[in-house]
Formats: sequence, C-alpha cells, structure tokens
Amino acid sequence: MTWVIHILNGVAFGMLLFLLAAGLSLIYGLMKILNLTHGSFYLVGGYIGLTVMQVTGSFVLALIAAVLAVALLGAVIERFFLRRFHLDELPQTLVTFGFLFIFSDLSLWIWGGNPLMLNVPHIFQGSLPMGYYAYPYYRLFLIAVGLLVAGGLWWFQERTRLGTMLRAGVDDAEIARALGINVSLLFTLVFAVGAGLAALAGVLAGPVLSLYPGADFEVLIFAFVVVVIGGLGSLRGALAGALLVGILDDFGKAFFPQFALFTVFVPMAVILVMRPTGLFGRQ
Amino acid sequence: MTTRLGSIAVAVAALGLLVALPAFAREYSVALATKMLIFALFAMSLDLLLGYTGLASLGHAAYFGVAAYTVALLVVRAGVSSGLAFPAALAAAAVTGAVFAPLALRARGSYFLMITFALSQVVWSVAFGWRTLTNGDDGMPDVVRPNFGFSLDNTASFYYFTLAVVGVATVVLVAIVRSPFGRALRGIRESESRMQALGFDVWRYQYVAFVLSAAFAGVAGALYAYYNRFVGPEYLYVIQSAEALIMVILGGAGTLIGPAIGAGLIVFLEDFISSLTQHWVLVLGVIYVVVTLFAPRGLIGLVNDFRRRGAK
Amino acid sequence: MTSKDTVPFGATAGSHRKQNAAPRRWRAAAMVSAALLMLGVSGLAVRAADPIKVGILLSLSGNFAENGQQTLTGLKMYFDKVGNTAGGRPLQLIVEDTQSRPDTAVTKARKLVQSDGVSVLTGIVSSGEALAVNAYSRDSKTPLVLSGDAGVDELTMPGPLQNPYMVRITQNGRSVASAAAEWAYKKGWRKVVTIGSDYAGGIDTNFSFAQAFCKFGGKVIQAEWPPVGSADFGPYLTNLDRSADAVVVFEPGADGLRLARQYSEFGLKDKLPIMDIYAGMVFESNLPQLGDATVGMYSSLFYTPMLKSPENQAFVAEFQKRMHALPNNEGPNGYVGAHAIVDAIDALHGDISDKMKFMAALRAIKFDSPKGPISLDKYGQVIQTQYIRQVQMVDGKPSNVPIASYPNVDQFWPFTLAELQSFKYGYKESKDSLTDCTHLLAKK
Repeated sequence: MTWVIHILNGVAFGMLLFLLAAGLSLIYGLMKILNLTHGSFYLVGGYIGLTVMQVTGSFVLALIAAVLAVALLGAVIERFFLRRFHLDELPQTLVTFGFLFIFSDLSLWIWGGNPLMLNVPHIFQGSLPMGYYAYPYYRLFLIAVGLLVAGGLWWFQERTRLGTMLRAGVDDAEIARALGINVSLLFTLVFAVGAGLAALAGVLAGPVLSLYPGADFEVLIFAFVVVVIGGLGSLRGALAGALLVGILDDFGKAFFPQFALFTVFVPMAVILVMRPTGLFGRQ
Repeated sequence: MTTRLGSIAVAVAALGLLVALPAFAREYSVALATKMLIFALFAMSLDLLLGYTGLASLGHAAYFGVAAYTVALLVVRAGVSSGLAFPAALAAAAVTGAVFAPLALRARGSYFLMITFALSQVVWSVAFGWRTLTNGDDGMPDVVRPNFGFSLDNTASFYYFTLAVVGVATVVLVAIVRSPFGRALRGIRESESRMQALGFDVWRYQYVAFVLSAAFAGVAGALYAYYNRFVGPEYLYVIQSAEALIMVILGGAGTLIGPAIGAGLIVFLEDFISSLTQHWVLVLGVIYVVVTLFAPRGLIGLVNDFRRRGAK
Repeated sequence: MTSKDTVPFGATAGSHRKQNAAPRRWRAAAMVSAALLMLGVSGLAVRAADPIKVGILLSLSGNFAENGQQTLTGLKMYFDKVGNTAGGRPLQLIVEDTQSRPDTAVTKARKLVQSDGVSVLTGIVSSGEALAVNAYSRDSKTPLVLSGDAGVDELTMPGPLQNPYMVRITQNGRSVASAAAEWAYKKGWRKVVTIGSDYAGGIDTNFSFAQAFCKFGGKVIQAEWPPVGSADFGPYLTNLDRSADAVVVFEPGADGLRLARQYSEFGLKDKLPIMDIYAGMVFESNLPQLGDATVGMYSSLFYTPMLKSPENQAFVAEFQKRMHALPNNEGPNGYVGAHAIVDAIDALHGDISDKMKFMAALRAIKFDSPKGPISLDKYGQVIQTQYIRQVQMVDGKPSNVPIASYPNVDQFWPFTLAELQSFKYGYKESKDSLTDCTHLLAKK
C-alpha cells in the first residue's frame, strides 16, 4: 500500500510541475525566451488566488481571477518589454531577471514574509483511508487537473487551427510568417497562456506547498529541470519530465534519503550527458 | 596618434586613481572597492566563455566556490600556509573545470546553461551536505590571509594585494583575447560550423576556454575567501552564478571592460541601495529592466552608440 | 597600426566597433572614476561623537525577511520605551540588511563599524551569518549582542569560536531540544521518530534531543532528514515507523507549515502525537491558517505569547499594535537584546569606551522580560526559562498554551560542560547515528 502512496505522491507533485513546465516549454519553443519571470507568475498567481479566496471564499473564483490577471500581466510583459528583443537572448534574460526581482519584492511588500496557505476547497477536504494512512482527496484532484490540462493542451496543439499555427511557428517562425500566420499575435497569446498556466499551478499548489518569499525561485529551478530533461519546446517532454522528476523526487527521498540533495540534479546531469537535448528535444 | 596618446592617458589616470584610492577614500570605501575588483575579475572570467566563446554558463559559481573552499580547507583544516593555498585553489578550480567541460560541452545553448547549472548544484550539495569536511551551511570562518613578508590584515594592504592580482589577471586575459587563440574563439562564437570547415578543432578551443575561464573564476574565489575570511555554500549557489551572468550582460558581453564595470556597478548598487531602502531588490529590478530597454547591448553598448552618433 | 592594438581591454565583436575605440574608453574610464569618486567623497563625512550608535544587522529582504522584521520591531520597541537614550546619551540606530547571506553580513558589519562608527552590533538571523560576523567582531574587537535567531551551540561554548566580545541573549539549540526530551520522557514516551530539516541547525537540534532523550532512558527509533525546502513530506510520512510513541520535529519556515497541514491530511494527527522543537509547525502565523489541524500538538520554545506575566502582556499588546500579529520568538528576542544593551550602557553611565568593561556590564545583566527572568552565564550565553506548550482552543482560536516550564535552563543542561566535553562524538559525526544511544553517549 505504501508503494501506491509513493507513486500517487510523485504523480501529484509531477502534475504541478507539468503545469509550470508546459508554459515555460511552449514559450521557449515558440519564442526562444528562457523566461526567468515564470516563477514569479506562479507566486503572484498563488497570492492573488489567496486574496480572492479570502475575500470571496470561492476557490473557483480564485482560480479564474489569478489565471486571468497573470495572463494579462504576461501579455503586457511580452508586448512591451520582450517583443523588441526578439531572438536576442541576453537582453531577454536581463529583462526577465529584472521582473523576477521586481515581483519578488512587490509580493513581499504586499503579502508579507510569513508562509501563507490557501484553504483546501470544501469538497476536497478530507482523505481517502488507505490502511494505516489516508490519502488527501485534494491531491487526487491535482492529478485530475493535471491530466485534464495535458489533454486540453494536446487537443489544442493537434486539433485546432491555432494549434497548427503554433506548431508551424515552433518549427520555423519565418516560414509561418510567410504563410500569413499572425506570428506577433500568436507570441503574445502563447506567452499569456504560459503565464496563466503558471498562475494556475500557483493557486493549485497553495493549499499543499504554501506561498512564501523565495518560492518563485525554487519552482523556477524545478520547472527548468523538468523542461530540460524533457526537451525544450516539447509538451510531451514536459509531461514526461514532470512525472519523472516528481516520482524521482519522492522515491529518492523515501528510499535513498542520504542522497536526497542529489535526487534531481544528478539524474538531470546524467540525462543531459547521454542526450544533450533532453528526452524529447530536437537534436 | 592622438587617439593612442589619449587612451594611454586614460589608462594611466584610471590606474592612478585606483592606486591612490586608499589615500583619500575612507576605509570602508576601500573595502568595498576591493570587493568590486574581485567581482570584476569573476565577471570577466565568465565573459571569456559567454562573450568570447558564446557559451552561457549558469554554473560559474562552482569554480569560484571550489577555489574559495580549497583555500579554507587547506588553511583551516590542514594548516597549510595561506600563501601556498592560493595556487592550490587556482589549480583546484581549473581541474574542476577540466572535469566538467567534457560533460557540459556535449550540449549547446540553453542545454549548456542547464547542464553547467546541474553540475554546479552537485558541487553545492557536497559543500552543503558534507559537514565533517565543510561545516555544511554554517560555513568556515577564520580563513587567514596570506603573509608574503608583509601583513595583508589591514584594509589598504589587502586592497593593493587584490589590485595587483586582479591587474595581472586582467593583463593575461587581455593577452588571451587578443591572441590568435582569442580570435579563433570569437570565430567559433559567430559560427562553429564555419570554423570547423576552416580546420579548427572547435571542441578543443572550447575546452581550453572553459578551463581558463574556470581558473580565472578560481582566482576571484580565492581572493573572496581571503577578503571575507569566511567561506560558505552561498559562494557555490546558483544565485551567485546568476549574479555573475547579470554582471556580464549588464556591462556588455564580448568585452572585458564591460563585465568589469557591470560587476563594480552591481556590487556598489547592492551595497548603496540596500543601505537606503529595504526595497533595494525592487529598485535593482527596475534598474535591470530600464538599462536593458535603453542599452540592450549592455552599458558598454550604450557607450558605443554615443560614440557612433558622435562620429557622424 | 590598427586602432585595435591600442585597446587595453580587448576589442568588441563586430569589426565596425574596432575603430575609434578611444572615446568609448574615455566614457568607460569616466564611469569608473565617477564610481570611485563617489566612494571617496563619502569619506569626508564628519563623525558626530555624542550619540551612541547601535548597528543592527538583520535579513530584511529574501527568505528570512519576516524573521528580520519581527526582530527589528522587538528591538525598536525597547529602544522607544527608554526614549532612545541610555546612560544619559542618545542612541542612534543604524539598520543594515544582510540579505540572508553571511558574506553580505560581514560586509555590512564592516560598513557599520568602519564607516558609521557604531559601538555595538546586534541582530543576526542565521547561524552562518552569526559565525561569520562573530569572527569579524572578535578580530575587530567590536561588541556583538546576538539578538536574532542564530542558535548554533558552539558559538558560546569554550572552543575555537569563543569570542570575548560577544554575548547571546536569544537561545541555543540544545536548551530547547533538551526541554523537549525531558518532558517527552516524563510524558511516558520511550520510542520516538525524529524529523529534522537537513541543515546544520536541524541536525544539531535533533542530535541534542536524541542525546538528552537517551540520557533520560528513551530512544530514537528512526531519524528522517528532509532537505531544506521540501515541498512534499509525503515520502517521509509514508515511511514513518508506526511503532513509535510520538514524532519529534524540527522544521522551520514554510517547511513547518507544509508539514503541519500534510501531517493531518495523511491522517496521522490523531495517531502519533507531535513534539515540535522550536515550534516551526505551530508558528504563531501558521495557527490561524491551519484550522484545527494543529490542535493538540506539543512544542518546545523559550516563549509563548500566552504567558500571563505583566511584562509579557504589555509586550504583546504593544507588539500587536505595531505588527498586527502575535509575536513569535523573534520579537521578544529583539526586545531583550535592546534591554541588555541599554542596561549595560546605563551601568557604565554612558561611558562605553572601555570595551572590556562594556562586555563585563553586558554579562552582568539581570532582569525580568517577556520571556521570563534573564541572566547570562560566564560564556555570554543566556540563562532563561524553557516552556512546553500545547495548541489548545482559547476564545475559539488555536493558541500555544504553556503547560510546563523549566526555569533557569543553561546552555549545557541536562549535561554539564565537563560531560559534554567528555563525549566522543559531536554533532558532525552523529547525523547517521541518532538511533544509537551507545554512540551518542560514548565517552572518549
């Protein structure tokens, strides 16, 4: 039975990582931006969700408000601060790093330095009894949401017109432009969707992981690890990487506790040495 | 010819100012200037990879930290004379670079960034976790400064020591980037395949650049251990690596003076603004964004633009 | 001759940038000179001799910002209470942000001493910062009153770190852990699991607990070490040895909050009682967020805002006015630190030019504080009351109610200094041997 719990733990954590990594990976795939502000989108989204939930008491409203607000924020940053440096890595890095600083201080200012936790929404309170232990319903809900988003993104990418444009843009932005695709609008849209997904992860993680200064940077590192293991720009890779990191993290800590500090970084280094573009990345 | 005279005059004036600094600046300013010099060298060492070879590393703190820890371990644990620890630290950083380079150089671009990051995190984990050796996150105090017949314990003498070491390192760096080897690196940065076609062993050039870059970072790390008389795992952490990257980009990658100015400026601003306001992180973030908007090629790029406009 | 030959710092990338390099260098040099001049000119500032300057070093940004802010509030509350004067001289507070980094802490300590001319340093949140600044204080002979969280035991024990210019009025890890061990044994617990955050502070604290618990007759049967910043305690909770009587925890910060919620979610709250050393799980700001998840949990600390003494009730009322929250340990620590500094200056009638006299006056302090009675031992470490608290509902709110107290606990209790020095293994050699009482109590 404990095996089942370990696997569920790994998958639940992996799903949160997937929500973060999917956006990061899409943004990189299309625009080649290594977005350091992604962790801030997660944290600010979580904090906005927390405030909305405190005021309205509704978890659904918290999710919607956080996702919309942060998506808008993402669109503004893309449109006015990143667009002008298209395909120019160094200034993009500096701008997103600057915003990481700005948002981390603003959220410390607004929400204080104590760790804060969202309440578990009413219908998911309680736990499923499993032998000596119990498994929180909320984590099962996280797994369900993760699968749903993964399915939705897959459908969007493979089955919609916009998705086709997106794939064309990832393959070659110049050709896409030549084919008459409005690449500029696509960029802003994808950046906003990525930011919104990070905010979604922030609100969903709030009741489990809590929100605190520095969480932005911590999840950013995790998300990068996931994306790089999976292969930059690949949704499939992000999902595989997220599950791999989630499960490795859990099993490593449970069964090789003396190497807990290495459970993520050593496998990442090994994978990159074996496959320098990640599991599903283009050679 | 006037150009040449002018530049010599500037160089002499700048050097004179640096040499004379302890005579007119107060003690703390001299200490801060020492830190600026150390980070200037750290940033320049990274730029050898980033700006000249086109390889962005997010793990440069590893070599900085390995050297700092080598100094601390030899001096505090093994009782080795502090002066001897210095070349040992440089060697340790270079060896770490030599071991990591073949792994990192399998990847390019963002993957190179992340693999250097992963490798540096492994080094950090060792420093953080191996307490019997390193004291873990408590760090190691009581690193003694070297004594070459004269004491480096006061602020001014250590400043001159740092100035001398950083000065020599800078001269060597300048010689490297202006040598045929340096020109080849720039060629590789522009196009690996073209250089390959021209018969250059690209991998070997990158390898040597990687090791050299690690060694210079090591010099800075050893100086920093002496400067604080303390080492801790923070020296090896990704924040330190990221800060070095930001110093290079802010100052202007692909030059040596740019990263040096970027480093000096960031050290100065962090110190200065954080004394004025708790919200120095916010102010620094705004500065990064604004500087990028007006000087996407770094501060040195901005200077270039002025020059070009002036030339018209 | 190409102009490139005259470029001392190497030319930039594109060939067009190689021409006319001199003006670029002019500007670069001008920038360097301007920066240097800024440094120099600031050196001309005149120093005022009259007020006593107190340098406060705290993390005010980054991960420990809240700890720093609460300590600062405590310090200011006491300095305000005495009208910012001591021994007939005005006090001038100069606050610097250490950014939660030891190297920055040393830089800022230097600045406070060399450039602001402070007479005494105080504050400091993390142990790494404390060790680094302690060395600076010793080398520069600057009095240091530790009033932040830093609890590393060795700082105030005879040994290489000993510093005649430092006192610590806050706590050390061993006292808090030992009180937990004594109470746990009396409660009837014999076999416990420990969960400790895997860094120096966590390892030292749980080691001290295990050593004391062994001495009393108990035993640690499983020791788990989640890394700092563990997002998910699921793997550790699933692995818990269920034959234990209780779980003993050291998990500060967000880790403590997460563990508290996850512990109850995994259905363990009513099966295995919790003893929370340092109260990371039942931190004051956590309680209102966790509903009834923490009710019943025990914790060990040298303070709780629920203490009924008049000193504490006045303190809590004023603290709530300033911070709109109940104080944790940091507020009272800052307050006591300021009290100690003021009393020592008073005792010397404002003349603290003789540093050894000032240190002697600091070591001689004795007063009642919100934490309880305060005095220092001859090594400069505080002797104070340790409390065992339990989360109970008071006026409908979960609160840390004191249920036992241990007055006048010194830094070595339940051992003596001689006993501690006779043990064969210390903190560093024992992380993997917490379950082995023979190892923990082995003599040299």
